[in-house]
Amino acid sequence: MAVPEISVLLTDTERNLWTGAIVGGIVVVLAVAALLTILVLLVRTIEQRVTTVRDKLQAAVENTEDTALIAETADGVEAVLGEGLKHHLFLGRVYEKVRA
Amino acid sequence: MVLWSVIVIVALIAVLAGYLFVVGGQLTRIADLLEECAELVRRIKANAEPIRPGLEHINRTGGVVAGALPLLYGFAEGIVTGVSPRRDPDPEDRSPARPASGTRRSRLHDGVGYRPSGASTMAGHGAPRSEV
Repeated sequence: MAVPEISVLLTDTERNLWTGAIVGGIVVVLAVAALLTILVLLVRTIEQRVTTVRDKLQAAVENTEDTALIAETADGVEAVLGEGLKHHLFLGRVYEKVRA
Repeated sequence: MVLWSVIVIVALIAVLAGYLFVVGGQLTRIADLLEECAELVRRIKANAEPIRPGLEHINRTGGVVAGALPLLYGFAEGIVTGVSPRRDPDPEDRSPARPASGTRRSRLHDGVGYRPSGASTMAGHGAPRSEV
């Protein structure tokens, strides 16, 4: 089955305009490629910085993992206070005896 | 002309599709990273929550301890003062301590044959005893 030849009948002006449109399209394609390249590079930078933020947050998590010990320390200081009160009572009794 | 038109349009679509695929992959990775960051921030918040009440507790208790310590060593000083023997100061007993047997000449000089001028020739018995 033979493919019929298509012949476009155009005037010179129309042909020039079409050629101009094709050249403009190529320029647009190149401009789009350039802009999208910039976009990809910027997104890559964002990705790298988000990775850095993730690493810093990971370090912060590791640094704050032992904060549960603060409550235990508070209990220890409370025990020191209790012991100090016992010393206070003991020294008070001894002091009274010595004065007597 | 028609062929060139088709080529330009296909190139435009291909460029857009290719970059869309690349940017889509990057944004997906960024979304995963941000999700991980959000989880890390939640863990940091959970870790930081006990800091303030714990420190307030420690500061309150430490303040009480610090306020009670002067009372304790005041008691201790009173006890030490109370149990120490009292001794009245004796002005006659302020001279330097001297041996009760008095002092005598050293025999070390005699051992090496040294006779200082003006020294007594009585070997073995030194200077007269000092007054005690």
